[in-house]
Amino acid sequence: MINIMKSDLYRILKGKVIYIVLLVVIFVSILNSMLMQAGNVGISFEKDIDNLNDVSNLKEYRDLVKEVERFELDKDILGHNINLYYLFIIIVAIILTTDFSNKSIKNTLSSAITKKEYYFSKLFLILAISTILVFFNNYLNYFMNLIINGKKFASPLGEIIKITVIQLPLLYGIISLLTCFAFILRRTSLFNTISIPFIVLIQLLAEGGINLFKIKADWFYDYELQFALEKLANSPTNQYIITCMILAIVYIMIFNIIGYISFKKAEIN
Amino acid sequence: MKEIILKTDNLTKKYKNFIALDNVNIEIRKGDIYGIIGRNGAGKTTLMKIITTLASKTDGEFYLFNHKDTDLKETKRRIGSLIETPAFFPNLNAYDNLKYYSIQKGIIDKEQINEALKLVGLNDIKKKCFKNFSLGMKQRLGIAFAILDNPDFIILDEPINGLDPIGISDLRETFKKLNEERNITILISSHILSELYVLATRFGIIEKGKVIKELSKEELDSECSKCISIRTDDVKKVAIVLEKELNTTNYKVIDNEEIKLYDYLEQSQKVNKLLVQKDINIKQIRETGISLEDYFKSLIKEEH
Repeated sequence: MINIMKSDLYRILKGKVIYIVLLVVIFVSILNSMLMQAGNVGISFEKDIDNLNDVSNLKEYRDLVKEVERFELDKDILGHNINLYYLFIIIVAIILTTDFSNKSIKNTLSSAITKKEYYFSKLFLILAISTILVFFNNYLNYFMNLIINGKKFASPLGEIIKITVIQLPLLYGIISLLTCFAFILRRTSLFNTISIPFIVLIQLLAEGGINLFKIKADWFYDYELQFALEKLANSPTNQYIITCMILAIVYIMIFNIIGYISFKKAEIN
Repeated sequence: MKEIILKTDNLTKKYKNFIALDNVNIEIRKGDIYGIIGRNGAGKTTLMKIITTLASKTDGEFYLFNHKDTDLKETKRRIGSLIETPAFFPNLNAYDNLKYYSIQKGIIDKEQINEALKLVGLNDIKKKCFKNFSLGMKQRLGIAFAILDNPDFIILDEPINGLDPIGISDLRETFKKLNEERNITILISSHILSELYVLATRFGIIEKGKVIKELSKEELDSECSKCISIRTDDVKKVAIVLEKELNTTNYKVIDNEEIKLYDYLEQSQKVNKLLVQKDINIKQIRETGISLEDYFKSLIKEEH
């Protein structure tokens, strides 16, 4: 199993995509700190600052935002870590779905390992690389913000470490969902088609349903992935952290059981 | 008796309304080059896919190196395979693709990669990206992959597809060399009968998922070669006459009624006359012998 992970690591580092992903993280991090705002996908709640539309350049914009009361930009950015979903898609694609699309999986399964070993070696590598990506993203944003905007807009490093750790289980749940998709769909194009709009689509459908049927849905605003990650970055209670952990474990278990059973039954063409 | 490398026992694969493999029983022994001949869709690839665990069986079982199909974890490492079209990472070059699999298989000596590439004639273009390979080059890389880990048993599904005549000849020599020098057992499929004929030592003919005939090279030669077929009610007496009067032992008793003579091919009348003179009742005497293709067709017809 270790050998499979080592070989995939060798292949990924030989390619360009992983470096592009890192460049994107760096670029977005600089952008976040320069604009003093967390980038966002899905349902968004922008900061409401008067006269923000009247500024003519970046310096004026930054001065205006800085006049507003002190806020911890790094925590705000980490609260929007749902954005990493799209980078996780790339990670799953380069580690797993390319193997299906190129049909190179046949070489591995026919003469090296069992399906079970294959499944878990891919899952563990995806989790490992995604974890490195989360740490890289979070600390880069922290230090970038500290350098560009100064201490006034930064949290203590310990706080960033805590947020990183308590967000990880839910992020693993998201990664498990994507891995499950990959093992069921087994083609990069199909995987991308389904997974890219999925998270926004689910949010829109849920929101639409809640509004349409006037459902009282506090649970949705508490535990939907985007909201949950945001709340975990903003001084959550222990009770909330534990509930999110349990939710994450349920996600991880369900998605991996479905993914594994589907793969185990699949014929490799 | 040589070690059994692969044994299938009523191996069956069914899809919803289609039987891809129907109670297949074959046995491959160490050192064999076993050729599976069959038309497109006859079940060759399905058989190979099941053996390499890429597809699941519906019924029956198989044994690889005496390990049952439910316990193949250790034996998989002893197999090299190329199933259907060669599949590799398009953006990696030939060497890097093989290095990827060498890491996967835990091969420490990276010289094995160069050795495999050299053996299939790809050493000079090992830095070329797979996506820029011709079909022939891809096939060669697939074969290099199959032999990468010095396997005991290689499974090759139509490996000469897309190769030019010189490439086919080179690969044939490579397979023979692997078989003779390293004692590697080979299971190879093709629908190019003439090619399998010059390579394989044993043959399995498959049609509609059934192995309709298994025979050795000698048996195939005997079935196809030119001869005088003599049908009589006393094959013993015919054999004595052939040995004493015509000084030949180049004949084969097929059954109680038929004997095949491989000498005097242009002189069947002379043979006939001699046998009649010796008071042997001849039911039929005729020159026979068919091409591989005709033999294959006749088997398929029988099956229908």
